[in-house]
Amino acid sequence: MNRLTFAIVLLGMCGVLSAADLPLVDPPPGKVLLVAQPHHDDHTTDYGLAGVILRFIADGYKAYYVRGTNDEKDGRLGFPRNDMMNLKETYDALRILGMEDHVINLNWRNNFETSYALNDQREQLIFLVRKYKPDAVAGHNAWEHYQKNPGHRNLSWNYEEAYWLAGYRNVHPEHFEMGVGPHETYHYFGKARLDWGRGHRPNVILEMTEEQVKVKEKAIHAHQHVYANPGGARSTRTRLALQGLYLPELEDVDDDTTAGNMMIEWNMNWISRRWGKEANVKYGEDYYYMGEFYHLPGLKEFLDKNVEAK
Amino acid sequence: MTRRILAFVSLIFLASLAPLTAQIGETNNTVVVITSDASNYVLHAGGTVAKMIEDGMEGILIRIGNDEKDSWDLSPEETALRTKQESEAAAKILGINKVISLGFRSSDFRDVPFTTMRDRLAHYIRVHKPRVLFIPNAHTQYDRNHDRYYGGRAAEDAWRAAAFKNYLPAMKDVNLGAHVTPEVYYFAPLVDPARREPESTGTFVPQPKMTDISGTLEKKIKAAQALKTINRSVAMRLKQRLDSTDRRLPLLDRVDEASISKLVEQRVRGLARLSAEGTDFQAAEEFRFAGVEFRIPASYR
Repeated sequence: MNRLTFAIVLLGMCGVLSAADLPLVDPPPGKVLLVAQPHHDDHTTDYGLAGVILRFIADGYKAYYVRGTNDEKDGRLGFPRNDMMNLKETYDALRILGMEDHVINLNWRNNFETSYALNDQREQLIFLVRKYKPDAVAGHNAWEHYQKNPGHRNLSWNYEEAYWLAGYRNVHPEHFEMGVGPHETYHYFGKARLDWGRGHRPNVILEMTEEQVKVKEKAIHAHQHVYANPGGARSTRTRLALQGLYLPELEDVDDDTTAGNMMIEWNMNWISRRWGKEANVKYGEDYYYMGEFYHLPGLKEFLDKNVEAK
Repeated sequence: MTRRILAFVSLIFLASLAPLTAQIGETNNTVVVITSDASNYVLHAGGTVAKMIEDGMEGILIRIGNDEKDSWDLSPEETALRTKQESEAAAKILGINKVISLGFRSSDFRDVPFTTMRDRLAHYIRVHKPRVLFIPNAHTQYDRNHDRYYGGRAAEDAWRAAAFKNYLPAMKDVNLGAHVTPEVYYFAPLVDPARREPESTGTFVPQPKMTDISGTLEKKIKAAQALKTINRSVAMRLKQRLDSTDRRLPLLDRVDEASISKLVEQRVRGLARLSAEGTDFQAAEEFRFAGVEFRIPASYR
């Protein structure tokens, strides 16, 4: 089987395995979204959260970003400068997305997450939930299978407990000496790379407008330190030329970095269309959503019937 | 022919394990329940455990955590003390006659050395030599209480470790030899959308199993109602959430023992209905089950 046939078969299988007709959801009523992820670019990658962030901000939310690690491994400038450059570009991307101009840096050592005490990072996240009082939280889906990046794995694992344990008075009562109180969040939006396994099966889609997709495409550019890819554009052109093919869109683009950025935009647009299809809309992002009483399945029917507006 | 060769190879393999393991026959007619927190086993296995005890088995409960976090307005110490007493009352209602509390700090299991927890559980498995074990399912997804993941992993490994003589060898000096528990039920909250999907074949992979709890449902409700400290925490959090979003549940307009008990009853009946979906039962519980099929395929028996 040649590579092309293999790719077609694989894509066909993805179609069979993926969820179909996923429900569209809107941001729940609220004021604050707290996004916690380990890296500078997690919120804006092709499998990132830019869509949910833009939708929440459009609905009047303030959105804050918690950057779990120092990103020292990601880049070509050496550890300290990678950290500094990635921090700068985090701010650049947040401004494009319209998030609050304030990165909460936890500064854990990048990709050393497997060996540190999990309770330490979870405690910091609990404190931040108490301080910022989010109505909704978002991050990686802790239940994604085959997630080989320890940052994605561990921070989401800790966040999944932090967002509700923050409401319990007997959990880190020392925080209450610092002017914060218990606060429990009731909406979790988890993101993952579906094609890495079957642990993450999205259960909702958030629809995006064309304008929001454009912002998402622009936000990824902010991470030029790690995403500028002139070599990728060059090699694509070369491989196409060997087959007597060319991309008309790149014909008048002399600068390979610009061409590489265009290719990233296409990818961002493609992934937004790919998930939009699952809910029969043009653009979307997929999530595993855990709603306010999902942890009480035995009471669902009773609450549905008996809860009323005041 | 191939089948005969496979059967022969399997027998040789099983025979090679014999020196390492105990004989399955050395079991007591006992069910040991291991739970990370006080309410999890009552809500998701209580009916089945009660049925086994009604049918003549002896019941023993091992609580890994001290439940110190789960209250509404009590200190950790007071919470732990009350929940210990209430756990003992709930267990008694189900027919369990012994409760062992290990006292690990709840919600902090993740940083406890794995073998510390596992070896204490393996010790009790060897002491009580159960025929049936109930353990939290560490393989379930979307259970946001991670104590159940860590407690479940330790319990699953304790089941295995208890069966091998080379684990905890010091126990041999007090005649606590290896013990194989032949049946294991994995229990979990009903939040995993894939919880009923079979994984692989039944050999070496626990499979979905539903049990009829119609005969013990009332007993299960009473046991769940006995966990008063935890129930008040659930009710007050629910009321707080509804109040903060301008909603109300008339039942909780006044939160007292009667309204909390009614809420618990609704919850337990709701769980029983959910688990009964797709079965012929009126009330059920659902598990992953590792029995004889788990160890020896039908074709080799």
